[in-house]
Amino acid sequence: MSGTIRDRSSGETLIGASVVLLESPNNSSISNSYGFYSISAIPGSYTMVVSFAGYGNDTVAVYLRKDTSISITLENIAKQLQEAVVTAGRNNNVTKPMMGVQKLSINEIKDLPVLFGEKDILKTLQLLPGVQSAGDGNSGFFVRGGNTDQNLILLDEATVYNPSHLLGFFSTFNSDAIKDVTLYKGATPAEYGGRLSSVLDVKMNDGNNKEYHASGGIGLISSRLNIEGPIEKDKSSFIVSARRTYADVFLKLSKDSNTNQNSLYFYDINAKANYRLGDKDRIYFSGYFGKDKLGFGNTFGIDYGNSTGTLRWNHIFSSRMFSNTSLIYSKYNYDIKINSGNNNIGITSYIKDLHFKEDLQYYANASNKINFGLDVINHTTSPGIISASSTSSFNPLTLQSKHALESAAYFSHDLTISTKVSINYGLRAGAFMVMGPGNFYTYDKDGNALDTTTYSNGKVVKSYFNLEPRFSMNFRLTSSSSVKLAYTRTTQNLHLLSNSTSANPTDVWIPSSNNVKPEIADQVSAGYYRNFKDNQYEFSSEVYYRGMQNQIDYKNGAQLIANENVESQIVFGKGRAYGWELFLKKKYGKFNGWISYTLSRTERQFTEINSGHYFPANQDRTHNLSVVGIYKINKKWTLSADFTYYSGNAVTWPSGKYEVNGQIAFLYTERNAYRMPAYNRLDVGATLQGKKTKKFDTNWNFSIYNLYGRENPYSITFEQDPDDPSKTRALQYALFRWVPSITYNFKF
Amino acid sequence: MILAGVLAAGLYACKKTVHLNLNSAAPQIVIEGEITDDTTGPYAVRINRSIPFYTENSFPAVSGASIKISDNEGHVDSLVETSPGVYTTQTLKGRPGNIYSLSVLAQDTLYTAVSTMPQPVKLDSITFNHQHIFGDKSIFAIPNFQDPPGIANYYQFVEYLNNKLLNKDIFVFDDRLSDGRYISRSLRNDSAYLQPSDWLEVRMYCIDKPVFDYFDQLEQSSGGDRGNAASPANPVSNISNGALGYFSAHTVRSIKLQVY
Repeated sequence: MSGTIRDRSSGETLIGASVVLLESPNNSSISNSYGFYSISAIPGSYTMVVSFAGYGNDTVAVYLRKDTSISITLENIAKQLQEAVVTAGRNNNVTKPMMGVQKLSINEIKDLPVLFGEKDILKTLQLLPGVQSAGDGNSGFFVRGGNTDQNLILLDEATVYNPSHLLGFFSTFNSDAIKDVTLYKGATPAEYGGRLSSVLDVKMNDGNNKEYHASGGIGLISSRLNIEGPIEKDKSSFIVSARRTYADVFLKLSKDSNTNQNSLYFYDINAKANYRLGDKDRIYFSGYFGKDKLGFGNTFGIDYGNSTGTLRWNHIFSSRMFSNTSLIYSKYNYDIKINSGNNNIGITSYIKDLHFKEDLQYYANASNKINFGLDVINHTTSPGIISASSTSSFNPLTLQSKHALESAAYFSHDLTISTKVSINYGLRAGAFMVMGPGNFYTYDKDGNALDTTTYSNGKVVKSYFNLEPRFSMNFRLTSSSSVKLAYTRTTQNLHLLSNSTSANPTDVWIPSSNNVKPEIADQVSAGYYRNFKDNQYEFSSEVYYRGMQNQIDYKNGAQLIANENVESQIVFGKGRAYGWELFLKKKYGKFNGWISYTLSRTERQFTEINSGHYFPANQDRTHNLSVVGIYKINKKWTLSADFTYYSGNAVTWPSGKYEVNGQIAFLYTERNAYRMPAYNRLDVGATLQGKKTKKFDTNWNFSIYNLYGRENPYSITFEQDPDDPSKTRALQYALFRWVPSITYNFKF
Repeated sequence: MILAGVLAAGLYACKKTVHLNLNSAAPQIVIEGEITDDTTGPYAVRINRSIPFYTENSFPAVSGASIKISDNEGHVDSLVETSPGVYTTQTLKGRPGNIYSLSVLAQDTLYTAVSTMPQPVKLDSITFNHQHIFGDKSIFAIPNFQDPPGIANYYQFVEYLNNKLLNKDIFVFDDRLSDGRYISRSLRNDSAYLQPSDWLEVRMYCIDKPVFDYFDQLEQSSGGDRGNAASPANPVSNISNGALGYFSAHTVRSIKLQVY
């Protein structure tokens, strides 16, 4: 039996819905990214139960004689008061071998309080175990000790190179456009590759294929609009979601002619269309375009943003074989203009991918599922082009473009060995080829170029081959508990050069080369999973250890900007990260929420730093605790709160001072030997559901970020005291205290 | 960096002084030495020590050191301690193109350094740039000069406002991206505001690469708003044996004028 599982009213496919045959409960299937499921059984009569979180179950009586196609629709009951419904298939976390996976649905996060009232999947992810925030209000995140650039962030399969707006305070993901978010932090499936620490797979909504709807929201600093509907009823649909911030509108109101010429905003547009060509084929097109614009009068301006496009073709070869073919485009670029006196300067840079992906899923029988495919990506980066007027103090400069071809073949096999044991094993074989044209340098240990070799267009400069085994195993202890083990190797061939405390839009990605080797990580993890009270409560405890090779740090005073020899500024070392994650979630009922705690350590080792001893990485935080609660009081009101506590980051602070040139200079001894003060914060929110009719649905969302106004240190700097020059002082900066927000959402 | 600085200034809701539990590193020797092409001399080498962060800014002088500076023309000058920790030359005359060697024997440790005095570059004029960012009006001085093409040049600028050193600003430029250009670059003050009719003296030094690297790294690790390196570290000194500080042979050109 095979088919597609959809939402009854919108026709939206449902990802991760569970299909179980009651007569043979070990025969189960989970719908894939396109809502497709396939389940095998010997001929006979069956009762098929289909379920999905937030939806009512559907039970279908099937008399199975031959391959049968059955498509199912489920009704969304998220808006109703949910009673705990006993359901089969809600214990996938216990029955399947995959581990270190976190899924979020937009339904789950929509009631949570957030900074500026802007729902943000990346900030909600930071409340889960093993995931850490890159800073107060920041959408950047670290997974199990990885850097922010070691997360593969995909939007409908396209890589998003800079997942944030406004220097990190907003994510690029407009939650109106998002259907499903999955974070793989442990056993990454073989179909994904290219980053060390995690994969964040974000899927966009397909659009309602039954009727037209518009929805949106008006907030204090941004507004959103979402339009969707059928192109041809039941066959095809489209969705367009857009949002824009308008902080700059307030600047325009300023009487000061210099202030009102400043700009500070972003917008983004998500669009998607799909068309069903008969029962076996479906075509999707999805695109994203986002832009940030910051400018100070005429003197300085920067624009930056991502654009992605994905063309996909689903084909069902048979009820056992599902194929998806994708052509993907992805680009991130920035554009700086400086106009000061005689200096007219422009700086641009980009990274661009063309990506072909073929993925095949073969549902051999009840206990075997095979997934295999191919990935080919052509990367082009332009690290920087400087244009300068003839009167400018700078010379025009074009840093040479870098080209690379990244390809991989993979397979993985889901195998149920017995009712107690199931495994998933797979292999990803990757090749990374650094391509001409270009000059390639070798360097001595001081970073002086020793030798230059010129390669012509299409010549292979350097190839790296890596085999990435992936293995996970589930051992069921009881019907509601299990133990899992996993081992995963991942490699990374694109590296983000970032030497400052916060992520900058001008940070540049460089591919592996003759000087820069692929980063490699090996992770082993083990976990215990237990569900309580008919799967209402889900508990997990995971431990992990990850060793990392060819990690990147920078020489003292490294010059990363507009430097043809940027590779000479890098040092290479090792890393290790280990931790223990606890997670307890109440999934259903009037009250739901979770508690997440992580105890972890992340260290790096470089010959050039700290006399070659291991030191804590910048993102090393010992304790990380999040508590999230959502309480549905009645049909009108929903209350929510989240509390976050984490230990301070490792930082480098002075251990003395001295005088140079009449100036106070600070004396540093060890890398990252100090700790920022611990962070804690409570946010609260309330949602008021307006009168709901079939045609019109509104709600108000109120929230206060950092309710008790704690001054959480964002940075600490050191300076000579301006009031008393005989002293030096440490200054702590805090960002957000008591940030209230109000958002009005509508749908018709 | 400008971008992050300005945005941060707009966002920082609150700042306050905090007391941190900072370690006290063992005192370290700091040597500062300069030779210039101003032949009136004398030139000075200062030696003192580092102190803990929360101690008053009075840096203990290191007296009784034996210091020599020699050049590649065979001149050797033994410096005389004229005040505690300050040693001055007796005969040496700085000349562009010469290579200077410093040796300091202090408390049984020998520290050495080498610096080459580059050829001077003419400072044509100082002009002023008036900027308004989010309601703040600022005046920055702009040195104007022709960078000699074909050679790597490194510049350092020092400002004296009403005869007082503006000691929080480090201005070093290199011509890596500006070789052969006529250069006009703002000296963006961090610590002081220039006001019309103030007297400003701008001194332009031509320095060698190790000294440029030293000050460039010092600025990146300065701990203030402009030093935003994720992991600050002590700048790499051109003096051996782990001494902090620098030894710089440089030229000096200066212009003094009223701010307008």
